[in-house]
Parts: sequence; C-alpha cells; structure tokens
Amino acid sequence: METLVFATNLSRDFGRHPALSNLDLCLERGQVLGLLGPNGAGKTTCLRLLSGLLAPSSGRIEILGIDLARRPLAAKRHLGYLPERPPLYPELRVDEYLTHCAQLHRLPRRAIPAAIATAKQRCGLEDQGRRLIAKLSRGYRQRLGLAQAILHRPPLLILDEPTEGLDPVQMRELRQLIRDLAQDTGIILSSHLLPEVQSVCDRVMILHRGRVRFDAETRAARPTNLWRVRLGGETHIMHLTALDPVAGAIAIGPNRFQVELREGSNSSDLARAILRSGLELFELVPERTDLERTFFDLIGAEEHA
Amino acid sequence: MIGTIAAREIRSGLVTPLLWVLLGAGQVVLAWIFLQVIENFSGLNADQRLISLTQELCLNLFGFAAMLAMLAAPLLAMRMLSAEFRDGGYDLLAGAPVTLIEILFGKFIGLAVLITPLCLLPAANLALLAGVATLDLGQVAAATLGLWLAALFFGAIGLQAASLTEQPGAAVLIAFGVLVFFSIVGRAESFTAQTLSLFGWLSWNEHLFRFLLGAVRLSDLTYFLLFTGFFLALAHRRLANRRLQ
Repeated sequence: METLVFATNLSRDFGRHPALSNLDLCLERGQVLGLLGPNGAGKTTCLRLLSGLLAPSSGRIEILGIDLARRPLAAKRHLGYLPERPPLYPELRVDEYLTHCAQLHRLPRRAIPAAIATAKQRCGLEDQGRRLIAKLSRGYRQRLGLAQAILHRPPLLILDEPTEGLDPVQMRELRQLIRDLAQDTGIILSSHLLPEVQSVCDRVMILHRGRVRFDAETRAARPTNLWRVRLGGETHIMHLTALDPVAGAIAIGPNRFQVELREGSNSSDLARAILRSGLELFELVPERTDLERTFFDLIGAEEHA
Repeated sequence: MIGTIAAREIRSGLVTPLLWVLLGAGQVVLAWIFLQVIENFSGLNADQRLISLTQELCLNLFGFAAMLAMLAAPLLAMRMLSAEFRDGGYDLLAGAPVTLIEILFGKFIGLAVLITPLCLLPAANLALLAGVATLDLGQVAAATLGLWLAALFFGAIGLQAASLTEQPGAAVLIAFGVLVFFSIVGRAESFTAQTLSLFGWLSWNEHLFRFLLGAVRLSDLTYFLLFTGFFLALAHRRLANRRLQ
C-alpha cells in the first residue's frame, strides 16, 4: 500500500489558543479517513494544514514522501482540496471556472476538455456548463467545488464537510462518488455527522478541542452482538442469562441490561425468548459502538459546557 | 501561470459592472472638462494664451484622470484579494501548485490591464481634435505614460491594502488613506521651498506633473517603479504571513 499522507506531531496555535495538538496521521491509497468532531474541534484547521493553506506551529507533513513545507509546489500537485466554502468565482460560467482550475493545476492544454467532461459527469454537472456560477443553487455550488478538487485526478483528496448543503438524494450520490473515487485515491473528509462518516469512511478520527480522542477503523467499531434491553416488573439478571440466545448479561441500571447474544442468534431470537419466558420487553436497542459512545460523550460534554 | 491568473482577473473585471461604471462616469466628467478647456481656450486672443492648447488639455484632462485612477485602483484591487479572502476564492489559489509571486504578479498584471483603458481615456478625448488643431503628440504620449505609471503605483498600494484585511471596504479606505498621504505629503513645503525636498519627492503628483509637461525623466520613472515594487513586496510579505497567522 502506498502512503499518501504522513503527518507527525502536528500542532497549530492561533495566538494562545491551541487549535490542534500533536496529531499523527497516516493515510494510504484506497483509504477514506473521516475527521469527526463537534464545531471548533480542529477539523478544518487540520485539513488546512494538510492542504498547505496554513503552516503548522510544529510538526511535519509529507504528501507522497514530499515535504509540504520544503517543496510546497511539488506536494500540492498531488492533492485536490475542497474547502468548507467552495472556492468559486460567481461571475464566471461553470466551464470557464473549471478551465481556470485545470490551468492552475497545470493540466496539459489538450487534456483539459476531457478532464472537465469527466469531472462534470462524476459530479452531475453535465448540463450546467454554460450556467453562471452566481445562479447555481447551493447544492450545485458544492458539486462544482468537488469537481474542481477531482479535476486533475489527484491521488489525495481533502474534503472539508463535502455534504454540507446537499439534499438527502445528493448526499447519497456523493457517498457513492466518494466510494468510487476511493478505489484509486486516498480521501480525508471532515464532518460533524456521525452516520455520514460511518457510512463512507474506512477509518474515523474523532477530534475534540484540537486533540485526537478516538482513532480506529470503522469496521472494527461496527456493532457486535451486544444489545441493550429494558424489561418491565422485577426482573433478575438470572432470568435473562437463562434464555437460550443469551451468552451473557450485565445489569446497567434498574431493569436495564446489556446482553451479549450467542453466535448465530439475532435480536428477534432474543425478543421471542424474552416474551416466551413471560418477561415484559419495553426496549431493545443495539449497543452503541466505541465510536458512537466516544462521539456522543463528546457531544454531551459540549452541551454541558 | 501568471498569465492564467491575470486572464481570470481580466475576465472577471470585464464581466462585472465596476470597471464599466468607472469608465462611463470618468468619460462623462472628462468630456465636460475637455469642453470647458476648449471653450475657454478658443475664447482667448492669441496674446492672452499663456500656454499651448496641448499643455492646457494635458494638465486638466490627465490631472483629473489621475484622480479617477486613484479612486479606481483601490476599488479594482479590493476585489482581487480582500473580497477573495472573504468569499473563500483565494483558497483555490492557495491550495493550487502556484507560488505567491505568481499569484501577486498575476493579479497585478490583471489590474494593470484593467486600468489601462482608464489611462487611455484622456488621449482618446484628445484624438477628437486630430485634424482640427495641431497637438504635441509627444507630450500627449508622455502624459499618458505618466498617468499609466501613476495608475500602476495606485494599483500596487491598492493590492497591498487589500492583502491586509478580509473587509473590502476597509481595504479601500486604507488604500485611500495611503494615497491621500502620498498626495499631500509634498504640500507642506511647496510654498517655501523652490527645489524638490524629500517630502516633495515622496509626493506622486510632483512626478506626474513633469510627465504632463512632456518631460520623461529617469528620476520620475524610478519613483513610480520603485514605489510600485515596494508596495508589491509588502503585499507579498503579507500573503506569505497569512499562512502563519
């Protein structure tokens, strides 16, 4: 696997305020990394550092083995960046804008029309070429921002909140596009929406107040056969452990239990067994994964702060 | 790459109304001044005419056009950096494999091209007299060159001011402040001293005045090029610092 980004000990302060502290990051070709966190967690700062728009206070970034601080031009050739606000010029037409972007990324003149056609097709902008950017809706502007990022087929894509402003159908299309692009590129995207990151990313990094709080593969963080149940009446844990599909149970509150199912059993087996044994089932929900727990704990912390 | 950035700036300048409004408004006032000068000059007898028609026209038309350029340059420059910082367009350049020098020169050349029609307006007005009166074409050419160099100088100050802030309005005010300072700095001593003092030398209108009289002097050329370079260097430094702040 080819390493696309290698960042070590990355920190960035704004005055006395540390926006990002000691972040280590490594991304390989074909991976989609999601930066997740509440507002102000340092996601955008991290992405701006990786795309060379900001200089780190300390630390080092290599893109395809090229030091971003020493050889910024060579490094930036390999990346496509979609900032939080798409960097558009409202007075230009879509085709004019994309041609300008292609020239900025030093695409050969002959390759430009084909590159623009491909980018427009991938982002659903085929019939928008003559339209003025000022007249585009927010969703189309976001797509155009994405089109300029993928135009020169960079091996590394950095997308800052790419689904912002898109409707649910467009979001689904974008997720599919990201999965398609990830076949031959590495993608780092930020979001404050957990389901979005879960659905599209291979790896998740949760940031909070500039620090990494969680970093794991989403597959590893997928739900296991752990379930939470709330039962009625006076229920003892022994009632639950005696059931066939239950491998083990622990009490987590009055009438609340965390149940681990046996291999091959599912939630309907558990529900059926509970009802057959005469217990009252009030609630049956999948146990949160580590990822979800960390995320919701942080969001909770934000709300209480 | 400089050409790509400059071409984009020119295209944006041409498809938005600001430049056309400046040109239209400028032409209306220049035409009025032109008419007045011709009216006054033709009403005088030969012995009452102290200076030639070309000089009379150059001083009035080009003098006003310089004021117009002083207004136009910061307005055009503010859109190139300040408004792009605010709207996020600058991130496209900052994230692209382009050096800051290329960005700055691209924008400066775009600005120079956009402001050139404004500098040619007085000469275009004078062209109406071709065949009717004998004009000193050398003097008109020198005055046009002087006006253009002054406009570049204003543009460099405009870009430097625009690199300082994300508020286009504030950028224009900063540029006006600096330009007004450079306009009046020589005034303090102009009544007492006959020779060009340091403050007098700093003032751009003293240098433009020589061009309007038809004298292209190396010292005046140097003044405009030196200060244009100086303010561009300051703008470059500021853009480089943006990554650190």
